[in-house]
Amino acid sequence: MYEMDGEEIFVIDGHVHLWDAREENIIHEGGEQFLQCFYDYHTGFTPEEEQWDIDTYRHYGADKMTEDLFGNAAADMAIFQPTYLDDFYDEGFNTTEQNAELAEEYPERFVLNGSFDPRDGEEGLRYLEHLKAEYDIPGVKLYTAEWRGESKGWRLDSDEAFEFLEKCADLGIENINAHKGPTIRPLNRDAFDVKDIDDAASSFPELNFIVNHVGLPRLDDFCWIAAQEPNVYGGLAVASAMSTNRPRKFGEIMGELLYWLGEDRVLFGSDYALWNPDWLVEQVLNAELTDEQRDEYGVELDVDTMKKVMGENAAELYDIDIEEKKRQFRDDEVTERFDLESHYGGDAGAAAD
Amino acid sequence: MSGSSAGPTSGPGGDAASDMTGDAGDSTDDPSGDPDGTSTVRDRLDRVEDPELARSIVELDYVDAIEVDGDRVEVRFTLPTAWCSPAFAWMMATDARDEVEALDWVREARIELCDHMHGEEITTGVNARDTFGETFPDADGGVAAVRAAIADKARVSTQREAVSELLDAGVDPEQVVALERSEVEVAGDEAHVSLDGLAVVVDAEPVADYLDRVETSGHVTEPDDTLFLTPEGDPIPAERLDVVQKRSRLASVNMGGQGAVCDALHRARHGPDGPDGSGASYVDQSGDGPSAYDGDVDEFTSTWTLGSND
Repeated sequence: MYEMDGEEIFVIDGHVHLWDAREENIIHEGGEQFLQCFYDYHTGFTPEEEQWDIDTYRHYGADKMTEDLFGNAAADMAIFQPTYLDDFYDEGFNTTEQNAELAEEYPERFVLNGSFDPRDGEEGLRYLEHLKAEYDIPGVKLYTAEWRGESKGWRLDSDEAFEFLEKCADLGIENINAHKGPTIRPLNRDAFDVKDIDDAASSFPELNFIVNHVGLPRLDDFCWIAAQEPNVYGGLAVASAMSTNRPRKFGEIMGELLYWLGEDRVLFGSDYALWNPDWLVEQVLNAELTDEQRDEYGVELDVDTMKKVMGENAAELYDIDIEEKKRQFRDDEVTERFDLESHYGGDAGAAAD
Repeated sequence: MSGSSAGPTSGPGGDAASDMTGDAGDSTDDPSGDPDGTSTVRDRLDRVEDPELARSIVELDYVDAIEVDGDRVEVRFTLPTAWCSPAFAWMMATDARDEVEALDWVREARIELCDHMHGEEITTGVNARDTFGETFPDADGGVAAVRAAIADKARVSTQREAVSELLDAGVDPEQVVALERSEVEVAGDEAHVSLDGLAVVVDAEPVADYLDRVETSGHVTEPDDTLFLTPEGDPIPAERLDVVQKRSRLASVNMGGQGAVCDALHRARHGPDGPDGSGASYVDQSGDGPSAYDGDVDEFTSTWTLGSND
């Protein structure tokens, strides 16, 4: 938690991974390229003194991750968003199962999302049921631009995808996180657009569609769709890192998001380990709009807005009771490990029980 | 006349300043005053844009080297990431080739795309004058469609400043949305707007920028075409002008945001000192034969050297 203008800000990092890109796990050159590309993103938007070496970046492990997220209470909770990439990584890059290693160790601190791919057909539906039964997943992370065989991706508004969304609705998997971020090969029309979100969101009003990376480099299409679909949300992974070195750009993007979506539908995410909430959270909280931007957009990054963006909006989507969590964290394992008792007001809290 | 690498920029747009109109002036085709011709080539390359950012590849510092040998020119360039879309990379490579060859003393331009996952294929294809489809047989959707989509974004993002210029000059929203192409004329530093016999004079720059984009995108070609349009390409109801202006702002913020990402990746790869800095070259293209683009992979794979290792 952070204090801003005397108020506590409970931070839910909406986008984290526990990945494994060690050489022994890489089975295709694409896996190495992928990791190197991530590393460029890392160094490109990380202050020099916070940058990791490449070996750490390949595999940091559950222990370091716990410390990075919670050691200085940068985040209070975090949401896993798996990325499978089975063609590249023997055991996957960060599957639901891999992320579960840590999520199950500190269940009170993590939300564990699953994933589906409609091209898996019947088997995919069974896997989704399995994920629900095994981990009680409240959401899925989807990668519509993933190539497979002859297929160059899939659309959220296809019949096959609707069958899976129907299944999500049946199972109570409400949060559909779609990666609509930087893509590598906009050769086919699909990779270029976020429009399939539109039809899916209006067809499944009972589901929430969180568009990761706020659609960059299609922020314009994304905002326009989100302005018309109340169940479409923007995830700030990548965008939040632009507060490093590019505060003005970050301000502009926040201005646009708050203008078109409003403060209730924007969610912070670090995309750990691309970036580390250890320093990123504070940097985002300190970000300010320029006077010009305030005039232009008519919005503020004030404490009320930040409370929502950094935690409350995610809490709403994932049914997290923040006050209850604060009480729980006075003496949970993470708090004991990192001596956070006073941070969560352990002493004062005891009287309230 | 040995090859020399491109010297420090003498023209405008050499730094990261947000001068979007880095007009290099009308460079002549005459290499006199530029003994080895590299400056002339560089000026010419300033016309080539990164389609995603609508900014010059010279201004963006993608050009690594220009070598002139008589009437043959070689240009090497590197993009911010090895993963940059092959379609975009293709456009920049072919545009660079065509612009340099438009100089009347140049007989042949050779383009090399460095450190890209498809660098070898693109370099080979562009220099062999193959089409994109021949180079990437399984790519669906050609370069033309991507170009059109990009041109459209550039149209939308430049409209706002042109419209603001007119509104600031006192033109009513009703008049703005009704304007036709023939009613606006650029003359030197001024743009003249005819309104029922009255002429309003405004700064030419934003208007000329917009005219350039809206003509390139093919939305305005005839004298009686409506000049300003919604992102969808329709005439704008006057009461919607404000929201259309905001959407235009959004389109420019999107481009600028992507520009920041590309720039950061460019620096991450090469450091401030360019591609020869200490950073490793992540894409080893030296090796194992041509890579097929067989689509048997997911988005991030491209089989550039599939299975070359073990």
